[in-house]
Amino acid sequence: MPHRFPISTEKSPNIIMEVILRLKIKDAMVTKVITAGRDASMRDIQKLMKKNAISGVPIIDHDRLIGMVSVNDIIHALDKGHIEEPVHDHMTKSLVVLEDDMPLSFAVSYFDKYSYRRFPVIDKNRKFVGMLSSRDVLSVMLQQLNLEIKELEDKIVSERVELPNQIMRDFFIKKFDFENAGKASFELKKVLKEKNVHAAVIRRASVASYELELNIAIHSDGGRIVFLLDDEKIEIIANDTGPGIDDVEKVTEEGYSTANEWIRSLGFGAGMGIPNTKRVSDEFEITSEIGKGTSVKSVIYLEKKNESQ
Amino acid sequence: MREKIFINDIVVKVDAMILHQGEHDYVRWAVSSGLMSDVLTTEETEILLISSLSTTQVVRTADMVGANAILLCCGKQVSTDTLSLAQELNITLLSTENPVFETCHLLSEMFYKEK
Repeated sequence: MPHRFPISTEKSPNIIMEVILRLKIKDAMVTKVITAGRDASMRDIQKLMKKNAISGVPIIDHDRLIGMVSVNDIIHALDKGHIEEPVHDHMTKSLVVLEDDMPLSFAVSYFDKYSYRRFPVIDKNRKFVGMLSSRDVLSVMLQQLNLEIKELEDKIVSERVELPNQIMRDFFIKKFDFENAGKASFELKKVLKEKNVHAAVIRRASVASYELELNIAIHSDGGRIVFLLDDEKIEIIANDTGPGIDDVEKVTEEGYSTANEWIRSLGFGAGMGIPNTKRVSDEFEITSEIGKGTSVKSVIYLEKKNESQ
Repeated sequence: MREKIFINDIVVKVDAMILHQGEHDYVRWAVSSGLMSDVLTTEETEILLISSLSTTQVVRTADMVGANAILLCCGKQVSTDTLSLAQELNITLLSTENPVFETCHLLSEMFYKEK
């Protein structure tokens, strides 16, 4: 059967290919490895395996990898009565090794090609430097993908362009992320303070944005909140990606809530979020569609005519 | 504007522990609720927020309404997250063994002074 690369190179997102091509084997391998010297006996190796719960031990001689002892080799030695003899005569000598500078994609194809669960890794001077298992590949991939996603998210943030005389801030809010809910509003507050906006206005804007932020965290599948500030007004725009509200009239009534007990135990979900936001806003709009999401816009003017300075 | 009530006097009155000493040493009014949305409706400023909840959102809420201090009742266990957020936002964080009702009762005469 011709060898093929185990990941579909056509259908998978480019980012996965990029990551496994960019990462080197040395980024994923384990460098703290339990090894043994050539003079150890098969019995020593067997004890080493038992003590450390490992299933393979590289045999090293002057930094060079000269062989591997696997559980199979131990079983074989027990079977043939060689268990007390030196490893040198009973280890596996023909090894498939990886080099630490190779891209991770190389390792991925090796795991597919051979049935081994781990490979010894050597450097360009043929010195033994570590071991690589499929588990190591997985965990480094997950870490990298997390970083990539974060970078992508940050990129989207800067997509919207500020108009002249306008300050724009854009935040992602994740579902049930109570640890971070409030951070966007905190940032808004900071910006407004820097602009020397009247304290009463800052407070109204903070309350509106905080309630909207919490709404996204509590009720939606996730969304974003955008602040647009100019010399005249502050606009708070909250958009989420679902599930949507079937009756938007109802949510503007105080006391209407679909929040569960857990949300209520945190001090929210009493059906006051939208009414509160509306109360502090000069202009308020809410639109929603089931399956699509909800969009709320709150506008607060920096100077209200009937507000004492 | 309402008169200043010093936080140190509150500490003595309800036998509170100071978990974090924030920016201000006074409050002007007190608001007590277990529902943060209720707190967000208050028109008062520089308040003491009295609650039996001790989540980070209590600190966030206090920040949004411009509270000067938070008093956690019923000797609730305070998480390090809550404490570090209070430190970050520099809002005074107090804790008392007294339940909410008793706390409010003990404090009421300080806020409703006879003139």
